[in-house]
Amino acid sequence: MPVAEKPNARAAPKGGTNQWIPSSCSLCYSNCSILAHNINGVLTKIEGNPKSACGEGRLCAKGVAGIMTLYDPNRVNVPLKRTNPRKGIGVDPGWVEISWEEALDTAVRKLKEVYDRDPAELMLQGTTTCASEMHCGLFTFAEAFGANAVWVAGGGLHCGSGAHQIGGLMHASWSLVPDFKYCDYAIYFGASKGHSAGHVANQNAQLASDARARGMKMVVVDPMCNFAASKGNEWVPIRVGTDGALALAMCNLLVNDLGIYDRNYLKQSTNAAYLVKEDGHHLRDATTNKPLVWDEANGAAKPFDTVAANRMALLGTFTVNGSKVQPGFQILREHLKKYTPEYASEISTVPAAMIRRLAREFGEAARIGSTIVIDGQEFPYRPAAAIYFRGSQGHKNSTWNCVAMDLLNHLVGSADNVGGALGFNPVCYGHPETGWPSYAPEPTPDGLMITGTWMHPHKPFPANDASAPASLGMREFFPWAMTSPFYGAADREKWWDRFGIQRRPRVMINFGANAIMSVGNKDVVADAFKDVFIISFDIFKNEMTDFADIILPDTCYLERLFPSPNYPFIFNHPASMGNWSWPIRQPVVKPVGQRRDFLRVMYEIGYRMGLLERMNSAYNTHFELKEPYRLKPDVKYEFEEIVDRALKNFFGEAHSLEWFKENGVMNWPKKAEEVYWRSRAPVRVPVYFEIFQTTGEQVRQVATEFGIENEVNYQAYQTLPDWNPCPSHECKDPHYDLISFYYRDTVHTNSLTLENPWLDEAAQMNDYSYNIAVNAATAKKKGLNDGDIIWVESNYKRRVKGRLKTIEGIHPEGVGIAALAGHWSKDLPIAKGKGVFYNELIEVDYDHLDPGNLNMDLCAKVRIFKA
Amino acid sequence: MPRWGMVIDLLKCIGCYGCQTSCKAENATPPGVTLARVEVSEVGSYPNVSRVNLPLLCMQCNSPPCQSVCPTEATQKRPDGIVFVDAEKCIGCKYCMIACPYGARYFVEDVRGYFGNQGLTPYEADGYPGHRTGTVLKCDYCRHRIDAGMAKGLKPGVDREATPACVINCMAKARTFGDLDDPNSEVAQLVARAQAFQLNPEFGTDPNTRYLPAGRSVAPMETPGARPAKE
Repeated sequence: MPVAEKPNARAAPKGGTNQWIPSSCSLCYSNCSILAHNINGVLTKIEGNPKSACGEGRLCAKGVAGIMTLYDPNRVNVPLKRTNPRKGIGVDPGWVEISWEEALDTAVRKLKEVYDRDPAELMLQGTTTCASEMHCGLFTFAEAFGANAVWVAGGGLHCGSGAHQIGGLMHASWSLVPDFKYCDYAIYFGASKGHSAGHVANQNAQLASDARARGMKMVVVDPMCNFAASKGNEWVPIRVGTDGALALAMCNLLVNDLGIYDRNYLKQSTNAAYLVKEDGHHLRDATTNKPLVWDEANGAAKPFDTVAANRMALLGTFTVNGSKVQPGFQILREHLKKYTPEYASEISTVPAAMIRRLAREFGEAARIGSTIVIDGQEFPYRPAAAIYFRGSQGHKNSTWNCVAMDLLNHLVGSADNVGGALGFNPVCYGHPETGWPSYAPEPTPDGLMITGTWMHPHKPFPANDASAPASLGMREFFPWAMTSPFYGAADREKWWDRFGIQRRPRVMINFGANAIMSVGNKDVVADAFKDVFIISFDIFKNEMTDFADIILPDTCYLERLFPSPNYPFIFNHPASMGNWSWPIRQPVVKPVGQRRDFLRVMYEIGYRMGLLERMNSAYNTHFELKEPYRLKPDVKYEFEEIVDRALKNFFGEAHSLEWFKENGVMNWPKKAEEVYWRSRAPVRVPVYFEIFQTTGEQVRQVATEFGIENEVNYQAYQTLPDWNPCPSHECKDPHYDLISFYYRDTVHTNSLTLENPWLDEAAQMNDYSYNIAVNAATAKKKGLNDGDIIWVESNYKRRVKGRLKTIEGIHPEGVGIAALAGHWSKDLPIAKGKGVFYNELIEVDYDHLDPGNLNMDLCAKVRIFKA
Repeated sequence: MPRWGMVIDLLKCIGCYGCQTSCKAENATPPGVTLARVEVSEVGSYPNVSRVNLPLLCMQCNSPPCQSVCPTEATQKRPDGIVFVDAEKCIGCKYCMIACPYGARYFVEDVRGYFGNQGLTPYEADGYPGHRTGTVLKCDYCRHRIDAGMAKGLKPGVDREATPACVINCMAKARTFGDLDDPNSEVAQLVARAQAFQLNPEFGTDPNTRYLPAGRSVAPMETPGARPAKE
């Protein structure tokens, strides 16, 4: 391990060890690079690693506070087995200590049972907090085992399925950020990018603060004047869940009123010019099946890839072989007309005049037609970005909300162009010596963009054809879903029965996810788990492990080895110009007790099940190993060797695990054409969505086969975006007059960090983290006072209690609750009783999901009253 | 002789509590002691409202009222401007806590850890003995870092090792540290801006911790290399 002496407040070691060890944080999925100060075996400080682009030496409160998670005396240190067969919320499992041998024997026996019976009855569940290890451990095992029921943190309220789906489709990336270094005007919809939470939280915070100081204007559309809004130039309060309507009105104004849209971008980089028949499908070439465009130069329909962009018609109605056809953009333009500012204002409460101003400001800021020279190359310069994330996408209309907000970028041509909305690293040409990793978006035969890389084995586009579902998650029937919440849904049995699915979840492997809390209402989820044999890797006993049968004491991120914490780059690597950084994670202290690393144990379980060959094959796939580094089928490897092979495979023989342990991070410079790839890429993105209509037709056919065509909601399968209401908007019971929503807190990640006492201390020092925020005037009308203990009750009669904080900075109809708080487990003494368990209010069923991507709706119609 | 000072840019600060926890980690302060902290409040009324994050720490006053009230000369002011407590001399009378108008001082009650009856963590067991029960703790701009760094020839405010922990950690890069008497230092140049201010100057303590306002107007600059649309 490397040694670089540094003084700090603590006593210097007397003849002991004094090391700063480079590794990676994992108290959220940003995985910022850290230096951990180990003095005589004790971790005394965590700082950022200034050598890495993943944080550049700075950390958020969570990253610094990791010491207290490492040393929490409530950590699980030995394997445990349940003695009380009854499972339920508040039921003591009756834990007794067992040996690792007994734990592994039991796990292997139960897994073999389900493997022999039906591998698809195994559920695999993991936490996004440790996303890299989760993806590695669960997907390699699932592949080896033949399991397909993988759900991420329960696929619930905290998942960004919509943002990831549309991010993948439109930007070949997991998510979006403003190009902070060049952006002049950023409009945020329910997002906090750059304000301490989310992907690449740390680096984005640095870039965003520089951007603000440079003069980037930030307009934040949000029901609450929160982390981003409080730093913005303008807060636009909006009714919860209506961002899509506002965005569509802005699109309408740009296209139909202001005439501000980037014609060249639309023709070259989208399918806007593709001709559409009256049945909604593209007009295609009889021979090649390629979509046709109208060639204005000679007045004929021709395959899109045979016509220069400047000759394509975007507008008009044409007759081809006697049939009426129109470019998709013509249809979009007409479609948008109904989204007048007045109509959007009625839905969103944002004044029509303000909508007009925002559309004009955004359009003008984009400087359509301008260019900029970076690193000697000329790129389109479009310094306006529309950014959306967790809040605005987390609704029943998730697919179209995301499309509507993202459309702003594609209308003005700012998507992945300088100053615009950047996907996180959709293009990488690799390390200069090994050329790895090398990926870039590629076109389908229709010219539409396929991501170069992705987080999951299946890319977001093209979607599979919809078919009769056989798996528990039923994603065959919902091919645009990133993850399925059906495993824990109230109506899961109804849907399984509808499709005649006989299999049921029998065994679950859980890696650190607290799905009892993270999905939605706890009772609904608990009911789904009560008959499942659960093998849970965790660092704490918690609400989820109360349902487990075996707890395996996991190492935390400070005790673990992993070769690629910031890869794929589309997930948690900084997006802007700068360096590519490849840090590793390595243990900074020795694990206490009998803690063992999840990945090693999963490999061991696979080995003991006789799946060694398949495990090695899955690892070869996961780390993209090539000879001579591929794992041999019949060799059982130490995890260090797998990591060593992976690193050498990536960066050559000299860059072994030893090299990375010593140096911590490898850097090489980004090229301008990697960051600003859009104008160079031979790919297009849809602004007209025949792709969804096609899925919808398949879905309808399958549904008809099962006699359930009227049970299915087809709203996600249109060709163009609409704003559709959430169930909370449709509740007309006058007693329920407010809409609750959850938001990410600055000091907490998911449910895990609530147990960290430094973060708990910080959370208690502000009025927001643990309280229920309500507009002061609204509270006054109800006779409620700041500090009152109140109930928040949904129209489904679900309730949570908490302390009222009356504030000015929240929409008068909004009820804002932070974080995934409100733990009740006695095994989390710091977290217990702190904050409010928002998810109690959340229904988990088909009616509260986006019917296309299965994103859960985060809002609820509620009333509040004194407890 | 330098005069150390810090400038906190409230336009940049995002209220993440990174300063608070990094101070805690650096100085191993017990529960309830937050030598760096953040106060979050709201100004304005709906819908013209904003949230204000105010990071606080010792103002390192040029005329520190905490020093003059100390009966044992435990509170001292170094020639470089750093005000610190010599725990050996502190008798825990708390006069300084009353005298400090910024609430920057904390009394160490005992070495109870964050996990209460579950005992001290190895980290706490290592760090807490550095503090004396019954004395007053305050921010001293991480003078151990400054002193050790300078002894190595490093420059506080420039070199990480020689710079206060909260400054190097700030994820919004809101904090700048350096020698206020060196006109070439970044802090001196920030302080020279008309908008830089001292917190509650009416107290007359003349703090060396300064702020830049959140609401200051920033004019967008023309981006180099940009070419307008060709008509």
